[in-house]
Amino acid sequence: MALRPLAAAPLLALLVTSAQEPVPPAVRYEQHVFAGGNPPPAGTLQNPFTGDKKAAADGEKLFGLFNCDGCHGGGAVGFVGPSLADGRWRYGGADGEVFHSIYYGRPRGMPAFGGILPPDAIWKLVTYLQSLEPKQDVSTVAW
Amino acid sequence: MTEAPSQLLLLGTLVALGAPQQRAAPPANASPADDGQWTIPAKDYAATRYSALTDINAANVKRLRAVWTFSSGVLGGHEGQPLVVNHTMYVVTPYPNVLYAFDLAQEGFPLKWKYRPYVNPAAIGIACCDVINRGASYADGKIVYNLLDGHTVAIDTATGKQVWKTQVADVRTGETTPMAPLVVKDRVIVGASGGEYGVRGWVKGLDLATGRVVWTAYSAGPDDEVLARPGTFRPFYDRGADLGRTSWPEGGWTHGGAPVWGWLSYDPDLDLVYYGTGNPAPYNAEQRPGDNKWATSVLARRPADGSLVWAYQFTPADSWDYDAVQEMILTDLTIKGRRRKVLVHFDKNGFAYTIDRATGEVLLAEPYVFVNWAKRVDLVTGRPEVDPAKLTGASRGTVKDICPTLEGGKNQQPAAYSPRTGLFYVPTNNLCMDYAAVRATYLVGTPFVGASTPYKPGPGGSLGAFIAWDAARGRKVWEIREKYPVWSGALATAGDVVFYGTLDGWFKAVDAKSGAPLWKMKVGSGVVGNPITFRGADHRQYVAVYAGIGGDWFLLSGDVRSDDPADVRPPADFMPDIARYTSQGGIVWLFAL
Repeated sequence: MALRPLAAAPLLALLVTSAQEPVPPAVRYEQHVFAGGNPPPAGTLQNPFTGDKKAAADGEKLFGLFNCDGCHGGGAVGFVGPSLADGRWRYGGADGEVFHSIYYGRPRGMPAFGGILPPDAIWKLVTYLQSLEPKQDVSTVAW
Repeated sequence: MTEAPSQLLLLGTLVALGAPQQRAAPPANASPADDGQWTIPAKDYAATRYSALTDINAANVKRLRAVWTFSSGVLGGHEGQPLVVNHTMYVVTPYPNVLYAFDLAQEGFPLKWKYRPYVNPAAIGIACCDVINRGASYADGKIVYNLLDGHTVAIDTATGKQVWKTQVADVRTGETTPMAPLVVKDRVIVGASGGEYGVRGWVKGLDLATGRVVWTAYSAGPDDEVLARPGTFRPFYDRGADLGRTSWPEGGWTHGGAPVWGWLSYDPDLDLVYYGTGNPAPYNAEQRPGDNKWATSVLARRPADGSLVWAYQFTPADSWDYDAVQEMILTDLTIKGRRRKVLVHFDKNGFAYTIDRATGEVLLAEPYVFVNWAKRVDLVTGRPEVDPAKLTGASRGTVKDICPTLEGGKNQQPAAYSPRTGLFYVPTNNLCMDYAAVRATYLVGTPFVGASTPYKPGPGGSLGAFIAWDAARGRKVWEIREKYPVWSGALATAGDVVFYGTLDGWFKAVDAKSGAPLWKMKVGSGVVGNPITFRGADHRQYVAVYAGIGGDWFLLSGDVRSDDPADVRPPADFMPDIARYTSQGGIVWLFAL
């Protein structure tokens, strides 16, 4: 599957990275799906944008532009894939764990985006997701 | 057990019902005499879901009781239906697609064998709408069905051993395979899902003996890949070459959706297989100007080589995700004084079509649910008269109050047809939507959608209804309003009983002529499967159905799940209390008198 041109100029601005980050050795699950058809080279475990509102806003744009909302729903409230806005994490909610989920993908159909998104863009997505405060405590539903 | 009389609305004159002017009949070859089995998904090639068994009838069905249950061990939406062949019942589960073979000749119906395939778990997240499976077909000593991850398998009924396994689809490109194959002579006809991932839709014809792919017919693209061959392809309304390419922007058809994820039927006399295609991708119509043929269409093909004989597009330039994969039910009807070989189709777009199945001419098209995106269907051109105020696209912002929603007036839930009453029994949804399209980026292996489409209840407030439809006149005869969308299939019998289930977990029997409620039971989880009936080894008539809410309701009502502590969702705003009545489950039920 040939890599297709990704998008237009505003999109590219979100992807610009200052420098190539140091990355751990590539992990490749055979069953993973690779966004854009490219497997990821590697990823990094530090979030340089913690608490950065501009990065969170960029991350929100990326969440739509890279079709994350197609599975996780607008606002990441859950759809085909699990909610990412309920404060609960199937694969862990620490910086590196969320990064890992996006970069390498996860075995139940979460595509690996590390082949088409640079680490900075993924950290912006992580920053966006971490900025989502659960709107309510949904652990109890009563009628 | 009775229901409030207010739930039953009689819209036609019952007197006319009991004695239709001229008996309607499915074609004999496509609907042979009943042998008490259920060997293919819709009972017969005509897709009637009608059984000639009469032991259970309108007079005694109130004594129906549960006689056996089995937990499938799986929680995904239990769409589809069991098969019963040679006193063995076959059940395919949702992912991971276990196949169980129950010995109906032994007390307690123990397993003869079970088949546990490896199924790539990546398919879980790539399947658009839960990990459902719509069932299997039996042919020549084999059960043939699809694994969710793009494989078709054939299993020897005597041993439970795999005879062949063929990769037909590629999960990495967004294709998954929940649909039920149909076997026609020595061809296994299969399709795939992926209209939300920008796949390029197709059907394939496999060799029943070996699983080899004999032909592949794309829904869109140049004629030689659509298998629209000169001299063979004669659409009723359209003219010209390469319509599957020229009705798209340059290259749009290469990731334009139009997948084949619904039901197949077959007319042995005309030697035509019928099926519908899904939505064009993405949902933002402004990215794909043109009619987008043959998305949202019905296609008629020769099973041996896949040649396209005719095609008709229900929703040109689809702006609302109106897939057309709903079943094509074959019968012969007298319309305006003339006997016609027809197919009847209840489209997502809210119109019920009665079509000449030899030519593709639309004979009738009337709304069977509340419709406002189009005023009518022009029978001269075959095209809908679209309300321009309901057209969607990224430049139009949020377009309000479109009916029906992209769940359709009806979705996958198959209707049934009784030749005794001449009526079609149709599970329906009553929802409307707002539609906000945005530009979508095509990235292999990720969703290609570009729309936010919140739902709201349709007129009258109840979210669904089970209706009886007269396809010769294009009118509704009776209607049972339901609190929630009716997502189960229907079963009609010569006992003049019709069965269906509800999302809140009732399994119901109603009178085929009047719609009067006759019996119901709460079955443990919402019903999205399709009831069947058969004669057991003990010569009794049984009715079987799955309970197990899911499919689209897994996405839309994520509060019905309890199995994942890391995924806790608030209720759907348009359906806030469904989780009060049901949770996910997976139960096979058998009923008898």
